Amino acid sequence: MSGLLKQRAKSFAWLLLVLMVAGLLSFGPLCVRGTGDASASVGEADVAVRQAFNATLDAERAGANVSSLILRLNEAGGILVEAEIALGNGNSSEAASKAGQCIGIAESVKGDADVLKTSALDGALTVFWASLAFSVVGVAVFVVVLAVVWRRFRRGYVGKVLGAKPRVVSNEP
Amino acid sequence: MNLEDYRVVFSAVGLIGVLLFTSPALSLVVHLPGPEKFSRLYILGPGHMASDYPLDVSADESYMVYLGVGNHLGSSAYYGVIVKFRNQSEPLPNSTSGVASPLESLYEYRVFLEDGKSWEAPLTFSFLDVRFSENQSLIEGLMINGVEFNVDKAASWDVNGTGYYYQIFFELWLYDAKADLMQFHNRFVDLWLNMTAPV
Repeated sequence: MSGLLKQRAKSFAWLLLVLMVAGLLSFGPLCVRGTGDASASVGEADVAVRQAFNATLDAERAGANVSSLILRLNEAGGILVEAEIALGNGNSSEAASKAGQCIGIAESVKGDADVLKTSALDGALTVFWASLAFSVVGVAVFVVVLAVVWRRFRRGYVGKVLGAKPRVVSNEP
Repeated sequence: MNLEDYRVVFSAVGLIGVLLFTSPALSLVVHLPGPEKFSRLYILGPGHMASDYPLDVSADESYMVYLGVGNHLGSSAYYGVIVKFRNQSEPLPNSTSGVASPLESLYEYRVFLEDGKSWEAPLTFSFLDVRFSENQSLIEGLMINGVEFNVDKAASWDVNGTGYYYQIFFELWLYDAKADLMQFHNRFVDLWLNMTAPV
Protein backbone atom coordinates (compact mmCIF):
# COMPACT_ATOMS: atom_id res chain seq x y z
CA MET A 1 0.00 0.00 0.00
CA SER A 2 2.75 2.39 0.99
CA GLY A 3 4.62 1.37 -2.17
CA LEU A 4 1.64 2.34 -4.31
CA LEU A 5 1.35 5.67 -2.53
CA LYS A 6 5.04 6.29 -3.01
CA GLN A 7 4.73 5.51 -6.73
CA ARG A 8 1.75 7.88 -7.09
CA ALA A 9 3.57 10.61 -5.21
CA LYS A 10 6.55 10.11 -7.50
CA SER A 11 4.36 10.30 -10.61
CA PHE A 12 2.67 13.44 -9.26
CA ALA A 13 6.06 15.01 -8.57
CA TRP A 14 7.18 14.24 -12.14
CA LEU A 15 3.97 15.67 -13.56
CA LEU A 16 4.42 18.81 -11.47
CA LEU A 17 8.02 19.15 -12.67
CA VAL A 18 7.03 18.70 -16.31
CA LEU A 19 4.26 21.28 -15.92
CA MET A 20 6.66 23.75 -14.30
CA VAL A 21 9.26 23.31 -17.03
CA ALA A 22 6.58 23.67 -19.71
CA GLY A 23 5.27 26.77 -17.95
CA LEU A 24 8.73 28.31 -17.79
CA LEU A 25 9.41 27.52 -21.44
CA SER A 26 6.14 29.07 -22.62
CA PHE A 27 6.33 32.14 -20.32
CA GLY A 28 9.61 33.40 -21.75
CA PRO A 29 8.44 33.66 -25.37
CA LEU A 30 5.15 35.10 -24.11
CA CYS A 31 7.02 37.91 -22.38
CA VAL A 32 9.15 38.57 -25.45
CA ARG A 33 6.11 38.47 -27.69
CA GLY A 34 4.29 40.89 -25.36
CA THR A 35 7.14 43.38 -25.56
CA GLY A 36 7.53 42.81 -29.29
CA ASP A 37 3.81 43.39 -29.91
CA ALA A 38 3.84 46.55 -27.81
CA SER A 39 6.93 47.78 -29.62
CA ALA A 40 5.28 47.11 -32.98
CA SER A 41 2.13 48.93 -31.83
CA VAL A 42 4.15 51.96 -30.76
CA GLY A 43 5.91 51.88 -34.15
CA GLU A 44 2.54 51.75 -35.91
CA ALA A 45 1.30 54.65 -33.80
CA ASP A 46 4.37 56.66 -34.81
CA VAL A 47 3.67 55.95 -38.50
CA ALA A 48 -0.04 56.76 -38.06
CA VAL A 49 0.81 60.13 -36.50
CA ARG A 50 3.18 60.97 -39.36
CA GLN A 51 0.57 60.02 -41.95
CA ALA A 52 -2.03 62.10 -40.14
CA PHE A 53 0.34 65.07 -40.11
CA ASN A 54 1.10 64.63 -43.83
CA ALA A 55 -2.64 64.61 -44.58
CA THR A 56 -3.08 67.72 -42.41
CA LEU A 57 -0.26 69.45 -44.28
CA ASP A 58 -1.90 68.58 -47.61
CA ALA A 59 -5.22 69.98 -46.37
CA GLU A 60 -3.46 73.16 -45.25
CA ARG A 61 -1.75 73.55 -48.64
CA ALA A 62 -5.16 73.18 -50.28
CA GLY A 63 -6.29 76.16 -48.20
CA ALA A 64 -8.17 74.46 -45.35
CA ASN A 65 -8.20 75.71 -41.77
CA VAL A 66 -6.38 72.96 -39.86
CA SER A 67 -6.40 74.42 -36.32
CA SER A 68 -8.68 71.73 -34.91
CA LEU A 69 -6.62 68.97 -36.57
CA ILE A 70 -3.40 70.36 -35.09
CA LEU A 71 -5.03 70.34 -31.65
CA ARG A 72 -5.91 66.65 -32.00
CA LEU A 73 -2.48 65.83 -33.41
CA ASN A 74 -0.95 67.34 -30.26
CA GLU A 75 -3.18 65.06 -28.21
CA ALA A 76 -2.03 62.05 -30.28
CA GLY A 77 1.61 63.15 -29.94
CA GLY A 78 1.29 63.36 -26.15
CA ILE A 79 -0.21 59.87 -25.97
CA LEU A 80 2.53 58.52 -28.26
CA VAL A 81 5.19 59.88 -25.87
CA GLU A 82 3.37 58.20 -22.96
CA ALA A 83 3.32 54.93 -24.93
CA GLU A 84 7.06 55.20 -25.58
CA ILE A 85 7.76 55.88 -21.90
CA ALA A 86 5.62 52.90 -20.88
CA LEU A 87 7.49 50.73 -23.39
CA GLY A 88 10.82 51.95 -22.04
CA ASN A 89 9.69 51.06 -18.51
CA GLY A 90 8.74 47.57 -19.63
CA ASN A 91 5.00 48.17 -19.20
CA SER A 92 3.94 46.46 -22.44
CA SER A 93 0.19 46.42 -21.84
CA GLU A 94 0.06 50.16 -21.10
CA ALA A 95 2.31 50.87 -24.09
CA ALA A 96 0.06 48.85 -26.41
CA SER A 97 -3.09 50.46 -25.00
CA LYS A 98 -1.70 54.00 -25.40
CA ALA A 99 -0.46 53.15 -28.90
CA GLY A 100 -3.97 51.96 -29.78
CA GLN A 101 -5.48 55.22 -28.50
CA CYS A 102 -2.93 57.19 -30.48
CA ILE A 103 -3.63 55.26 -33.68
CA GLY A 104 -7.37 55.88 -33.22
CA ILE A 105 -6.90 59.64 -32.95
CA ALA A 106 -4.35 59.75 -35.79
CA GLU A 107 -6.62 57.81 -38.15
CA SER A 108 -9.58 60.04 -37.33
CA VAL A 109 -7.40 63.13 -37.96
CA LYS A 110 -6.26 61.67 -41.29
CA GLY A 111 -9.85 60.99 -42.34
CA ASP A 112 -10.97 64.51 -41.39
CA ALA A 113 -7.93 66.02 -43.09
CA ASP A 114 -8.78 64.23 -46.35
CA VAL A 115 -12.37 65.52 -46.18
CA LEU A 116 -11.16 69.06 -45.42
CA LYS A 117 -8.69 68.87 -48.29
CA THR A 118 -11.37 67.84 -50.78
CA SER A 119 -13.70 70.59 -49.61
CA ALA A 120 -10.87 73.15 -49.64
CA LEU A 121 -9.89 72.13 -53.19
CA ASP A 122 -13.50 72.55 -54.34
CA GLY A 123 -13.61 75.96 -52.70
CA ALA A 124 -10.26 76.91 -54.20
CA LEU A 125 -11.48 75.91 -57.66
CA THR A 126 -14.57 78.10 -57.27
CA VAL A 127 -12.40 80.99 -56.10
CA PHE A 128 -10.02 80.42 -59.02
CA TRP A 129 -12.78 80.53 -61.65
CA ALA A 130 -14.44 83.52 -59.96
CA SER A 131 -11.13 85.40 -59.87
CA LEU A 132 -10.40 84.51 -63.49
CA ALA A 133 -13.87 85.61 -64.60
CA PHE A 134 -13.59 88.85 -62.61
CA SER A 135 -10.18 89.56 -64.16
CA VAL A 136 -11.20 88.79 -67.75
CA VAL A 137 -14.52 90.66 -67.60
CA GLY A 138 -12.98 93.49 -65.57
CA VAL A 139 -10.10 93.99 -68.01
CA ALA A 140 -12.42 93.82 -71.03
CA VAL A 141 -14.88 96.37 -69.59
CA PHE A 142 -12.07 98.62 -68.41
CA VAL A 143 -10.31 98.58 -71.80
CA VAL A 144 -13.56 99.29 -73.67
CA VAL A 145 -14.48 102.13 -71.30
CA LEU A 146 -10.98 103.58 -71.54
CA ALA A 147 -11.06 103.38 -75.35
CA VAL A 148 -14.43 105.17 -75.47
CA VAL A 149 -13.20 107.85 -73.08
CA TRP A 150 -10.02 108.25 -75.10
CA ARG A 151 -11.94 108.63 -78.39
CA ARG A 152 -14.25 111.25 -76.89
CA PHE A 153 -11.36 113.04 -75.28
CA ARG A 154 -9.36 113.03 -78.54
CA ARG A 155 -12.34 114.25 -80.52
CA GLY A 156 -12.93 117.04 -78.04
CA TYR A 157 -9.26 117.93 -77.96
CA VAL A 158 -8.90 118.03 -81.77
CA GLY A 159 -12.12 120.06 -82.08
CA LYS A 160 -10.85 122.47 -79.50
CA VAL A 161 -7.53 122.86 -81.31
CA LEU A 162 -9.17 123.29 -84.73
CA GLY A 163 -11.74 125.74 -83.31
CA ALA A 164 -9.12 127.93 -81.79
CA LYS A 165 -8.72 131.32 -83.52
CA PRO A 166 -5.25 132.58 -84.35
CA ARG A 167 -4.28 135.60 -82.35
CA VAL A 168 -1.75 138.20 -83.44
CA VAL A 169 0.45 139.48 -80.74
CA SER A 170 2.96 142.19 -80.98
CA ASN A 171 6.54 141.15 -80.73
CA GLU A 172 7.69 144.55 -79.69
CA PRO A 173 9.00 145.13 -76.26
CA MET B 1 0.27 119.23 -72.97
CA ASN B 2 -0.27 118.04 -76.53
CA LEU B 3 -2.24 115.02 -77.74
CA GLU B 4 0.78 112.72 -77.59
CA ASP B 5 1.28 113.53 -73.89
CA TYR B 6 -2.36 112.73 -73.19
CA ARG B 7 -1.95 109.44 -75.05
CA VAL B 8 0.93 108.49 -72.73
CA VAL B 9 -1.19 109.37 -69.67
CA PHE B 10 -4.10 107.27 -70.96
CA SER B 11 -1.75 104.35 -71.72
CA ALA B 12 -0.30 104.49 -68.19
CA VAL B 13 -3.79 104.63 -66.65
CA GLY B 14 -4.80 101.69 -68.89
CA LEU B 15 -1.80 99.60 -67.83
CA ILE B 16 -2.38 100.27 -64.13
CA GLY B 17 -6.07 99.42 -64.53
CA VAL B 18 -5.34 96.16 -66.35
CA LEU B 19 -2.85 95.15 -63.63
CA LEU B 20 -5.40 95.96 -60.92
CA PHE B 21 -8.10 93.90 -62.58
CA THR B 22 -5.82 90.93 -63.26
CA SER B 23 -4.30 90.95 -59.74
CA PRO B 24 -6.91 88.54 -58.21
CA ALA B 25 -6.18 85.92 -60.88
CA LEU B 26 -2.42 86.61 -60.82
CA SER B 27 -2.28 86.14 -57.04
CA LEU B 28 -3.54 82.57 -57.48
CA VAL B 29 -0.73 81.74 -59.88
CA VAL B 30 2.23 83.92 -58.88
CA HIS B 31 3.51 83.41 -55.32
CA LEU B 32 5.85 86.06 -54.03
CA PRO B 33 8.61 84.99 -51.62
CA GLY B 34 7.43 85.29 -48.01
CA PRO B 35 9.37 86.41 -44.95
CA GLU B 36 12.40 84.51 -43.62
CA LYS B 37 11.58 80.99 -42.43
CA PHE B 38 12.84 79.87 -39.03
CA SER B 39 11.98 78.09 -35.79
CA ARG B 40 12.54 79.27 -32.22
CA LEU B 41 13.49 77.13 -29.24
CA TYR B 42 13.77 78.74 -25.82
CA ILE B 43 13.78 78.12 -22.07
CA LEU B 44 12.14 80.39 -19.53
CA GLY B 45 12.64 80.36 -15.79
CA PRO B 46 10.00 79.26 -13.28
CA GLY B 47 8.49 82.76 -13.28
CA HIS B 48 7.90 82.53 -17.03
CA MET B 49 10.70 85.07 -17.55
CA ALA B 50 14.20 84.78 -19.01
CA SER B 51 15.63 84.86 -15.48
CA ASP B 52 15.92 82.81 -12.27
CA TYR B 53 17.11 79.70 -14.09
CA PRO B 54 18.17 76.94 -11.71
CA LEU B 55 21.96 76.69 -11.33
CA ASP B 56 22.90 75.32 -7.92
CA VAL B 57 20.91 72.13 -7.57
CA SER B 58 20.73 69.36 -4.99
CA ALA B 59 19.20 65.92 -4.69
CA ASP B 60 16.29 66.82 -2.47
CA GLU B 61 14.82 69.57 -4.60
CA SER B 62 12.57 69.75 -7.63
CA TYR B 63 13.20 72.37 -10.31
CA MET B 64 11.00 73.81 -13.01
CA VAL B 65 11.58 75.63 -16.27
CA TYR B 66 9.38 76.34 -19.26
CA LEU B 67 10.27 75.06 -22.70
CA GLY B 68 9.03 76.90 -25.75
CA VAL B 69 8.98 76.42 -29.51
CA GLY B 70 7.90 78.94 -32.15
CA ASN B 71 7.04 78.06 -35.73
CA HIS B 72 7.81 80.60 -38.47
CA LEU B 73 8.32 78.12 -41.30
CA GLY B 74 5.39 79.27 -43.41
CA SER B 75 3.32 76.13 -42.81
CA SER B 76 2.38 73.78 -39.97
CA ALA B 77 5.28 71.81 -38.52
CA TYR B 78 5.83 68.66 -36.49
CA TYR B 79 8.58 69.17 -33.92
CA GLY B 80 10.32 66.89 -31.48
CA VAL B 81 11.96 68.43 -28.42
CA ILE B 82 14.42 65.92 -27.01
CA VAL B 83 15.81 66.21 -23.49
CA LYS B 84 19.38 65.02 -22.89
CA PHE B 85 21.75 65.18 -19.95
CA ARG B 86 25.56 65.35 -19.93
CA ASN B 87 28.59 65.97 -17.82
CA GLN B 88 31.34 68.35 -18.95
CA SER B 89 33.26 65.73 -20.90
CA GLU B 90 30.35 64.50 -23.01
CA PRO B 91 29.46 66.02 -26.40
CA LEU B 92 26.86 68.67 -27.13
CA PRO B 93 25.22 68.87 -30.58
CA ASN B 94 27.57 70.15 -33.27
CA SER B 95 26.05 73.36 -34.64
CA THR B 96 28.65 73.67 -37.40
CA SER B 97 27.93 70.29 -38.94
CA GLY B 98 24.30 70.25 -37.79
CA VAL B 99 24.65 66.92 -36.00
CA ALA B 100 22.71 66.08 -32.84
CA SER B 101 24.46 64.94 -29.67
CA PRO B 102 25.02 61.16 -29.69
CA LEU B 103 23.89 60.98 -26.07
CA GLU B 104 20.82 58.97 -25.19
CA SER B 105 17.50 60.79 -25.38
CA LEU B 106 15.77 60.82 -22.01
CA TYR B 107 12.46 62.52 -22.52
CA GLU B 108 10.66 63.80 -25.57
CA TYR B 109 7.91 66.22 -26.44
CA ARG B 110 6.09 65.89 -29.74
CA VAL B 111 4.66 69.21 -30.81
CA PHE B 112 2.48 70.17 -33.76
CA LEU B 113 2.36 73.88 -34.51
CA GLU B 114 0.65 76.03 -37.08
CA ASP B 115 2.68 78.75 -38.77
CA GLY B 116 3.15 81.79 -36.54
CA LYS B 117 2.10 79.91 -33.39
CA SER B 118 4.12 79.10 -30.27
CA TRP B 119 4.04 76.25 -27.79
CA GLU B 120 5.15 76.25 -24.18
CA ALA B 121 5.20 73.48 -21.58
CA PRO B 122 6.57 73.20 -18.06
CA LEU B 123 9.42 70.80 -17.43
CA THR B 124 10.10 69.68 -13.88
CA PHE B 125 13.20 67.75 -12.95
CA SER B 126 14.90 66.42 -9.86
CA PHE B 127 17.90 64.26 -9.11
CA LEU B 128 17.87 60.80 -7.55
CA ASP B 129 20.66 58.93 -5.79
CA VAL B 130 23.33 61.60 -5.82
CA ARG B 131 26.64 60.68 -4.21
CA PHE B 132 29.80 62.60 -3.58
CA SER B 133 33.25 61.12 -3.25
CA GLU B 134 36.63 62.77 -3.36
CA ASN B 135 36.52 65.44 -6.10
CA GLN B 136 33.66 63.68 -7.85
CA SER B 137 29.89 63.59 -7.79
CA LEU B 138 27.71 60.87 -9.21
CA ILE B 139 24.08 61.22 -10.27
CA GLU B 140 22.42 57.87 -10.77
CA GLY B 141 18.91 58.97 -11.63
CA LEU B 142 17.06 61.90 -13.08
CA MET B 143 13.32 62.40 -12.82
CA ILE B 144 11.73 64.41 -15.62
CA ASN B 145 8.04 65.27 -15.43
CA GLY B 146 7.52 62.43 -12.97
CA VAL B 147 9.32 59.81 -15.06
CA GLU B 148 12.51 58.25 -13.71
CA PHE B 149 15.57 57.77 -15.89
CA ASN B 150 18.78 56.01 -15.06
CA VAL B 151 21.64 58.35 -16.07
CA ASP B 152 24.76 57.34 -14.10
CA LYS B 153 26.71 60.53 -14.73
CA ALA B 154 29.86 61.42 -12.87
CA ALA B 155 31.33 64.92 -12.79
CA SER B 156 34.73 65.96 -11.52
CA TRP B 157 35.25 69.05 -9.39
CA ASP B 158 35.62 72.05 -11.70
CA VAL B 159 38.40 74.21 -10.29
CA ASN B 160 37.50 77.23 -12.44
CA GLY B 161 33.78 77.11 -11.84
CA THR B 162 34.20 75.62 -8.37
CA GLY B 163 31.45 73.05 -8.62
CA TYR B 164 30.31 69.75 -10.10
CA TYR B 165 28.84 70.83 -13.39
CA TYR B 166 26.26 69.02 -15.48
CA GLN B 167 24.16 70.24 -18.34
CA ILE B 168 20.59 69.47 -19.24
CA PHE B 169 19.96 70.37 -22.85
CA PHE B 170 17.08 70.34 -25.29
CA GLU B 171 17.43 69.57 -28.98
CA LEU B 172 14.86 70.65 -31.56
CA TRP B 173 14.03 68.09 -34.22
CA LEU B 174 11.77 68.68 -37.21
CA TYR B 175 9.76 66.16 -39.21
CA ASP B 176 10.68 66.23 -42.90
CA ALA B 177 7.55 65.15 -44.79
CA LYS B 178 9.46 64.43 -48.03
CA ALA B 179 12.05 62.19 -46.36
CA ASP B 180 9.44 60.86 -43.88
CA LEU B 181 11.77 61.17 -40.90
CA MET B 182 12.59 63.38 -37.95
CA GLN B 183 15.77 65.36 -38.49
CA PHE B 184 17.84 67.45 -36.11
CA HIS B 185 16.84 71.06 -36.74
CA ASN B 186 20.23 72.37 -35.61
CA ARG B 187 18.86 74.23 -32.62
CA PHE B 188 19.42 73.49 -28.97
CA VAL B 189 19.24 75.28 -25.66
CA ASP B 190 20.88 74.24 -22.41
CA LEU B 191 21.02 74.80 -18.68
CA TRP B 192 24.19 74.48 -16.62
CA LEU B 193 23.59 72.81 -13.29
CA ASN B 194 26.01 72.76 -10.37
CA MET B 195 25.31 69.75 -8.16
CA THR B 196 25.65 70.64 -4.53
CA ALA B 197 25.38 68.51 -1.38
CA PRO B 198 22.18 69.10 0.56
CA VAL B 199 22.78 71.33 3.61
